[in-house]
Amino acid sequence: MSLEFAQAFRDPALARNLIDRIRKVTPGPLRLMEVCGTHTMAIFRHGIRSVLPPEITLLSGPGCPVCVTAQKDIDAFVELARNPRVTLTTFGDLMKVPGSGTSLAREKADGADVRMVYSIFDAVNMARENPDREVVFCGVGFETTIPTIAAGILMAKEQGLTNFSIHAAHKLTPPALGALMTADGVAVDGFILPGHVSVITGTRAYAPVVEAYQVPSVIAGFEPLDILEGVRMLVEQNAAGKPALENAYPRAVADEGNPKAREVMDQVFEPGNALWRGIGEIPDSGMVLRPEYQAFDAGTKFDIDLPDTPEPKGCACGEILMGLKTPDRCALYKKTCTPLDPVGPCMVSSEGACAAYYRYG
Amino acid sequence: MKDDHILLDHGAGGKASHALFSREILPLFENAELARQDDGAVLDLPGLSGQLAFSTDTYVVDPIFFPGGDIGDLAVNGTVNDIAMCGAKPLWISVGLIIEEGLSRTDLNRILASMAGAADKAGVKIVTGDTKVVPRGKADRIFINTSGVGLIRPGVDVGGHNAKPGDKILVSGTLADHGITILSTREGLKFESDVKTDSAPLNHMAQALIESDCHVHVLRDPTRGGLGTTLNEIAVQSGVEIRLRENEIPVKPAVAGICELLGFDPLYLANEGKMIAIVAEESADEALALMRENEFGKDAVIIGEVSRALAVEGETDLSDSGGRVLLETGIGGVRPVDMLTGEQLPRIC
Repeated sequence: MSLEFAQAFRDPALARNLIDRIRKVTPGPLRLMEVCGTHTMAIFRHGIRSVLPPEITLLSGPGCPVCVTAQKDIDAFVELARNPRVTLTTFGDLMKVPGSGTSLAREKADGADVRMVYSIFDAVNMARENPDREVVFCGVGFETTIPTIAAGILMAKEQGLTNFSIHAAHKLTPPALGALMTADGVAVDGFILPGHVSVITGTRAYAPVVEAYQVPSVIAGFEPLDILEGVRMLVEQNAAGKPALENAYPRAVADEGNPKAREVMDQVFEPGNALWRGIGEIPDSGMVLRPEYQAFDAGTKFDIDLPDTPEPKGCACGEILMGLKTPDRCALYKKTCTPLDPVGPCMVSSEGACAAYYRYG
Repeated sequence: MKDDHILLDHGAGGKASHALFSREILPLFENAELARQDDGAVLDLPGLSGQLAFSTDTYVVDPIFFPGGDIGDLAVNGTVNDIAMCGAKPLWISVGLIIEEGLSRTDLNRILASMAGAADKAGVKIVTGDTKVVPRGKADRIFINTSGVGLIRPGVDVGGHNAKPGDKILVSGTLADHGITILSTREGLKFESDVKTDSAPLNHMAQALIESDCHVHVLRDPTRGGLGTTLNEIAVQSGVEIRLRENEIPVKPAVAGICELLGFDPLYLANEGKMIAIVAEESADEALALMRENEFGKDAVIIGEVSRALAVEGETDLSDSGGRVLLETGIGGVRPVDMLTGEQLPRIC
């Protein structure tokens, strides 16, 4: 998107109209959850909380890929990094996330070969150029990222690489929404659904959840007007008492999504149970390698089998990811848990609710 | 989880760097000059009027050549600017070269020529230096240290502790050009863009302000950590709250576009030829005109003001700075601008 185009979605006068409408229609206290970490960041960056009526509480959901990565998976990444034959490649956000004792950044300082990459294709190229190294990629992300990871594996297979593998800790969005709606104590009056994920999944992927739980849901983009329009639609649905699935991001999201991307994803991966940090196991909410791609599974290749370790005492990341608590209600927030010395992943990732509260709160 | 090791974050110029300085370096070298934490030390000259500014900086940027400049002119401009931001006229520079075995003579000569060119442009002399060569793999092609001294006229004080309520915040041009240039040229991230480093000497622009009738309270160059981090430092040093207007903050469209794409905030990216001037409200227009007269200040604008004094004084730990810089966003919201915590980009200067 060109910047001039983006500027059109930051127009102050249009924003004013939307804000006025939201204020006028808001029927009473509403708890709206932005599912996606990029929304959390955008909401803070543009000061959106400060322009909404006090009745509206925005909750951050389980949509920051780093934040929902189970400690067990972080420990597995660390274990892999400690293998002297391994070059571990990862997206930057994962570097500082503490596992049960250490983080990839610390292991790197200690001599482990950990490299930050911007795409899985960099990792595949690294494997081709360094045949004497085992290159492992940390597979973290949602529907937006999984298709490119699948494409990377197809590329490695096509090139006949035997020194490339991934540790898959991928997550799917719709099953998590279902799990949230059935969890004890979770009260959500509407979902702001993720824009990027929906480009892949399409609108229809959320229909079963919206149907089953009658929860107002709107897919939104990431510019201020996109988000305000999403909030306006949710407020109108609540005021009218008519929960529905709407798309406030039609310029990017089609009903059927991106079938080609899903096809690539489904060729390499299949749904499997996944462990979400602080939430626990959610059936069929992960994407694991299909049997015919097991050769690319780092866990099997390097015999990684770690126990799930308890999360740090007092860390409320799980409750925060489910919208049960805001970061400032966590006993560790700003005391023992800061971006400089994070306890939980929500304080590490720039898209994490705690880091966003800390930085912009 | 405490660190047993130094991490890259500790060198990124954000909170981790400040924590390392405040908690481990300052206590051992404790003295009033160091404790001021400005870009350089401001030193009294016994028996003489005026003061001496003294500063040092080391350059380890990767890559060593990039659009618009190289490690050589960066190393000269960086120290020239640090001295200029003390309110001084920079005069003499020292250069220490740490060269990795195997660096080509062509590359070295190109770097030295650009250092000579930068010194000439800034009007400073490189008067002493040192050259070391280390075995292959013990350094990354070339690292450069520069130190410099300059003279401060009597009565001039533009340190970070001088911002006062009502002052206007001026910036000399577009932000994040250098940070995005380095990012764009790094391996694996090749953008088709015409963004280039803003590396430039700021001493002539700074001197023009100091020698004018303007009431200049603070001068700083927002290098590592960017505008957001530098203004937070000033806010803590001066015990004030600063308010910025997002719509006034200049960022080139190409830079803003790359930032959007990669999730970087231009407020935290490095600049190597930009100056922040905090001046009394009544001097703001004159200061702006003076900055715009300089070739490196053509795009100067007013981006905000010092909104009020805060009841905190005498803090030396600049890593503790939540909520003292506020930003009025384009849609009319308000949010705090915090200091950068750790590394956004490795080795940018």
